[in-house]
Amino acid sequence: MPRNEMPSGALVLLILRVLRSGALHGYAIAQRIHSLSSDVLRVEEGALYPALQRILLKGWVTSEWGISETNRKVRFYRLTPAGRKQLEAELSDYHRVHQAIQSVLHTA
Amino acid sequence: MNELLRRLNYLWNRRRFDRELASDLEFHREMAAHEGGMPLGNALHLREEARDAWGWTWIERFSQDLRYAARILRKSPGFTLAAVLMLALGIGVNVAVFGFFNLMFLRALPVRDPDTLLRFDRRAADSFSNDLPYPEMAFFCDHSKTISAFLALNPAKLATEGQEKPLTAHFVTANFFSELGASAKLGRALDPARDGASDAEPVVVLSHGFWQRHFGADPLVVGKTIRLNGRPATVIGVAADEFTGLSMDTPDLWLPLNQQPYLVTGSLLLTDLSADGPGVRVWGRLQPGFTPKVAEGELKTLAAELRQQHPKDIWENESLHSQPGGYAPSLMEGDRRGSGPEPPDEAYFIFGLLAALGLLILAVACGNLGSLLLARGVAREREIAIRVSVGAGKGRLIRQLFTESLLLALLGSVAGLGAGYFVLRVLMQFTEAPAWLNPAPDWRVAVFAIGAGFVAAILFGLTPALQVARQRHRATILRQFLIGAQVAASCVLLIVAGLLVRAIDHGITTQPGFEYERVISIDPALGSHGYSPESARAYFDSLQNRLRNLSGVESVALSDTSPLGNRTSSAGIDMDGRRVEILINRVDPAFFQTMRIPLLRGRNLTFGDTRAIIISESLARRAWPSADPLGKKFTLDGDYTVVGVSGSARLVRLEDPEMVQAYFLARAADLPSMVLLVKTAAPPESLAPVLASMARALDPKIFPDVSMLKSSFRRKMQGTERGAVAVSLLGFTALLLACLGIVGLVAYSVAQRTKEIGLRMALGAKPSQVLFVVLRQFSRPVGAGLLVGVGGAAALSQILRRELYGISNLDPLTYAAAIAIFVVTVVLAALLPARRALRIDPMRALRCD
Repeated sequence: MPRNEMPSGALVLLILRVLRSGALHGYAIAQRIHSLSSDVLRVEEGALYPALQRILLKGWVTSEWGISETNRKVRFYRLTPAGRKQLEAELSDYHRVHQAIQSVLHTA
Repeated sequence: MNELLRRLNYLWNRRRFDRELASDLEFHREMAAHEGGMPLGNALHLREEARDAWGWTWIERFSQDLRYAARILRKSPGFTLAAVLMLALGIGVNVAVFGFFNLMFLRALPVRDPDTLLRFDRRAADSFSNDLPYPEMAFFCDHSKTISAFLALNPAKLATEGQEKPLTAHFVTANFFSELGASAKLGRALDPARDGASDAEPVVVLSHGFWQRHFGADPLVVGKTIRLNGRPATVIGVAADEFTGLSMDTPDLWLPLNQQPYLVTGSLLLTDLSADGPGVRVWGRLQPGFTPKVAEGELKTLAAELRQQHPKDIWENESLHSQPGGYAPSLMEGDRRGSGPEPPDEAYFIFGLLAALGLLILAVACGNLGSLLLARGVAREREIAIRVSVGAGKGRLIRQLFTESLLLALLGSVAGLGAGYFVLRVLMQFTEAPAWLNPAPDWRVAVFAIGAGFVAAILFGLTPALQVARQRHRATILRQFLIGAQVAASCVLLIVAGLLVRAIDHGITTQPGFEYERVISIDPALGSHGYSPESARAYFDSLQNRLRNLSGVESVALSDTSPLGNRTSSAGIDMDGRRVEILINRVDPAFFQTMRIPLLRGRNLTFGDTRAIIISESLARRAWPSADPLGKKFTLDGDYTVVGVSGSARLVRLEDPEMVQAYFLARAADLPSMVLLVKTAAPPESLAPVLASMARALDPKIFPDVSMLKSSFRRKMQGTERGAVAVSLLGFTALLLACLGIVGLVAYSVAQRTKEIGLRMALGAKPSQVLFVVLRQFSRPVGAGLLVGVGGAAALSQILRRELYGISNLDPLTYAAAIAIFVVTVVLAALLPARRALRIDPMRALRCD
């Protein structure tokens, strides 16, 4: 299976979006994306963790220690104010492009 | 916290972040396994990929490569030592050359604000002078708005009681010390407020060295009175040890310029505006906000204004040419005056030549090392193959191999820095350079050494790294090319060095064309004591009469320049497109007989010959190669008729047989500045003091400088010999490098072909046949390299022609000797490791893999 199923820009957008409602650990991020997409989108480790490192470097999320549902000490990722702003910007960009594509598809 | 800071945070705490990342991944797998998913991929690989996002992978790889390279180099100390040694030679030579250049041209003098100091020369269309009449400078000082302060310096020799040799004194403007930011070690320095007035007390500041030599570092010297030229002056202070004034050689004393007429009786220095009169060296402090160009423009206008009042003394269209005054070159120009444009400075040319030779040596070292690395590639075949099979990519391999070269280059740079410093230090001690010319490397030299190492690494390391990584190192083309290139470069170096040495040797061993062993010069400097032409005539007449009656004196003559002296007078004229600098001597008729310069044709000058000229044979050859020079017109400042041709004499530059001279009869106006030359029958040591006291007795106000020509001769010769030594050292460095390279290559080739040689010997090959097999592969590249080298040397030496003083740049003897030396040493060097092939035991050789 090709590792880059979705463009990495889209992956970042999805990660930021699922973190909007609260802090999650890595596995939960992948699970949430998977279930919210009705099992269509699979996020592999090989894509998820490099993307998380990049987002951390950008300062859009921070990490903190917490306890998982299996009682293990893991890192939870939380959206920062900068991350929130980035998410809004990317969302509006996405909507604009999406609408443009939609209108082309409908009229052509 | 911005992104860069976070990135650095990751670099700094990368162990912790790595652990956290590992724990994340581990948890992910646990959960996936828990929910029945299959973990995919290599965990370590995944982690590395995630870590890539931090952007520090290259540092990790580089430090990995560096550690590995260090281990490899430690494991073969012989190779490492040879490589570092070669690089140290190649880089060291360049560091020494650059270090010297840095010292001379880039490093400022130890004075305050060296960058706003300017040194001024006088220039006009057909005249130049490195010093200015004092009144001209005073006029500029009063009117200039771009120069905030003028500093003037007039060197002199002053007699003092109990000292045979006169003291060197610099008469300077009273602002000299304060403008240069110099303080006194004891007492005080000159002070414009107290010492600037013309009626101030006569005072003197001692140099640190003179204070130690002459006063035994007496702390109570301030306030003492010393007698200079018979007149008292009060010591007001001792200059700090590091203060040298604006001069390469620190003088014994500094005195206020306005005391000069008091100590040098009758001197017109402060009032004489004529261009032939005495002068001062002039520096100016640029007013903030102005450029040197603007200052030059203003001074040109001022000079034109002054010319309105003194049309005879200030030249037409006179300009004041400035050069940076806070750097060594401004101190090294002598007191030159002459007609025609100023002859170009040779210093940059010499540096260019040295730099070219230095770079050639570096190229030889790099060529050597490159072929050594290629040869080593053979020995490392197995290692490279293993690394490829465990997954090292080509890029990674090249990076790894090049890192080794970088490490070698860095070691070489450090060693070269040390070697260059050592060479420069020895050179400085050898030439008795002033102490403030500190050869210790500064940041510029360090950067240069590292840069040279980096360039060298690219030269010697990149191609072999590419070849070895591609497993193409057995391809002989590149190796043969490298051998050929280094042979060519060393050959060029050896030939050029040979040419220079032969030229210098030729200059030294051929007779200079005049008598120097038994001539004493007496310079009474009458002009600086205000003698008129008439009184100078009377002085010389009576001195000559007394000397002629002295037993041991053969003849006596007058000349306006002292042979082998520092003061020269020249005229530049154009001869078939080339500028020829003619040395002008104004002499009396006895000059030729006294100096033993033969008159080859025509007649001597006689009294009243105002329009006659005698030219040297070298000038005659230049000016009229085929015609008879006698009776020809010669135009300088007027028309002269050639009445005689003298032998060529190298009166100024001993090493230059192409020097040309012209002799005129001295005019009455020249008399105050003339020197007396005395030819003695026996070696002159015993007569010199007698002459000194006789000259002294004639006028007690005057303290003549009496010296033997042969001491000046020896002094000049030393410098020339040092030049020859330096150049031959360069040549031999090249030869040594070439030998080292050949030894290494042959040794490797023997090691590599052990099996083949063993087989040949087992089959009955004779020792000579074995040697032939080993050495044959080198004959073609060496031969080609020699050819290219000879061609290169022939081309390069074209630009050397004017430094070769009469030796042809294609001098066959030099070429043959250089090639012979080269071939013999290289063959001997090659035989050394080749003999090892003969000791190979066939049985053992065949058994080894």
